[in-house]
Amino acid sequence: MAIAAHAPTRLRRISNARWAPWLYLAPALITLVVWIYWPLVDAVRLSFFQWNMLPNSPQVFVGWENYQRIFALPKFWQALRNTGVYVLGLLPLAVLIPLAIAIYTHDLPERSRNIYRAIIFVPMIIAPVVAAAVWRWLLDPAYGLANQAIKGVGLDPVKFLSDPNVAIWTVIAITGWKLMGFSTLILSAANANINPTLIEAARMDGAGKWEIIRDVRLPLLSSTVLFLVVMTILLGAQWSFTYINVLTGGGPLGATTNIYYLLWDFGFSTMSVGWGSASAVILFLGFGVLAFVLFRLIDRYSFHDN
Amino acid sequence: MTIDVIARPARARPVTLRRISNRSGLNTAAGHLLMVLLSIFCLFPVYWMLVSSFRPANTLFETSLWPTQPSLDNYTRAVDAIPIARMLINTLVFSAVSTVFQLLTGILAAFAFARWKFPFDKLVYTGVALTWLVPFQVVMIPNYLLIAQMGLLDSVLALILPNIAAALAIMLLAQAMRGFPKEVIEAARMDGASNWRVLWEVLVPNLRGTIASLAILIFISTWNEYFWPLLLSRTAENSVIQIGIQMFMTAEGNQWGPLMAASTLASLPVLVIYVVLQRQVVQSFMKSGIR
Repeated sequence: MAIAAHAPTRLRRISNARWAPWLYLAPALITLVVWIYWPLVDAVRLSFFQWNMLPNSPQVFVGWENYQRIFALPKFWQALRNTGVYVLGLLPLAVLIPLAIAIYTHDLPERSRNIYRAIIFVPMIIAPVVAAAVWRWLLDPAYGLANQAIKGVGLDPVKFLSDPNVAIWTVIAITGWKLMGFSTLILSAANANINPTLIEAARMDGAGKWEIIRDVRLPLLSSTVLFLVVMTILLGAQWSFTYINVLTGGGPLGATTNIYYLLWDFGFSTMSVGWGSASAVILFLGFGVLAFVLFRLIDRYSFHDN
Repeated sequence: MTIDVIARPARARPVTLRRISNRSGLNTAAGHLLMVLLSIFCLFPVYWMLVSSFRPANTLFETSLWPTQPSLDNYTRAVDAIPIARMLINTLVFSAVSTVFQLLTGILAAFAFARWKFPFDKLVYTGVALTWLVPFQVVMIPNYLLIAQMGLLDSVLALILPNIAAALAIMLLAQAMRGFPKEVIEAARMDGASNWRVLWEVLVPNLRGTIASLAILIFISTWNEYFWPLLLSRTAENSVIQIGIQMFMTAEGNQWGPLMAASTLASLPVLVIYVVLQRQVVQSFMKSGIR
């Protein structure tokens, strides 16, 4: 900014500029402090107390006890393991398959691509609760279309949501259904943005179809792929929350409970603020470390053309 | 992460044309097949919701792809069971007010970051950006307690309050404003316009594309919001439609017909926006990444 050009007004502007930005920032910052930063601090404080959320009952200081108890709970470790399963299960649906589709369909004519684009984006704008309701209907053990089809070919109906071995994969698949079209669009856009002269140059050098994909397209797509992978790792288990809440309630036998659902369960089903807050703090710290490491990785390994 | 979709067609076309001519159509056909399958997979559940919502109770379990005796039976039953109109209005108020406020606070904050260098500006910006990564589940208990202390449980106002500012809006707008030519701002300042006027008469009108696509994004995400309303809801009258849908799914059994009707009604506004503004909706989602 060329401050020197306005030498006469400079003094006034500097004193003005001292508080002006803060005035403009105030509404946003106050909101974020009140609803995010202060609650974070409060969650840390509450994690050292035992309290059942009733205004009249006392908050009892218990030190590290909440943390010790949580780490001793099999439920906690089960939820942590499930969180890993969610992330690993979502990666193919949110990254690998969309990547394959994006590369495979990149030379379809512009017009039909636009139509496909419009259709595969629909799940993304549908409300998670609506998606949960519709899938619950489609997968109903007695009357759902899926099981009618399965029975139609003479097989036993599948208890998609009440079989402990199947339920988590059902929730993962529904989450994947929401995301797949979106990831495909992101990757298609990145793929289409690759400078065609690079592809032509590789072709001139005698590279075959697979070599072009492996040596030109994939490296150039790596930063987008990495971004989607990181988002899936950081947010994947969170995206499933509504489906778990509406479809399985974390069950059967905790089989679909992930760490986010466990937090909700501690906080609002069992009304134990201390446990809920302690696991929130654990989650936040774990999440923070993971996010830090992943963003460092993005910085180091992302590859840019141009 | 920003993905520039518009810049693509012009330079991709000549190569595409040449390639199609010297390759067998087989690959293209397989590509179409793949995309058609994916399209069916993505669209069918939504279609099935629509079809089921028009099936009266006695034909609900039919598997035909088209309702044989279409009726509005499920809709009347849904309207009788829960105050749907009221819930839709609540959802509209929640989404519209949140959108307006997020844009307002976002525009002001973004202007501060784009216009001035001030002590701790980078730190404050990082602080804003980091809130985007805080899972809501982590802060939900204190947020809930705060709302309870304010005596606002079970109100639409309580839904709106934490949503009047968001990191995403601030970051996207700051990015757009930083890209705005500084000379134009300086010229307006030379003409004696105050910063306030520069913001509202120069920057905002010129960034209306960005602001509009951000508005679409915020509106749709708020409309679809479930978790925060779930925490606060006590009565159907003061809740949003997403909670209404959930009321048709109970442990004792599901009222499939009305459930599909309520789900259709809840999706209708968003689907209408999508049909009318398809390009803008897709672009606004793609520009902002996922969440």
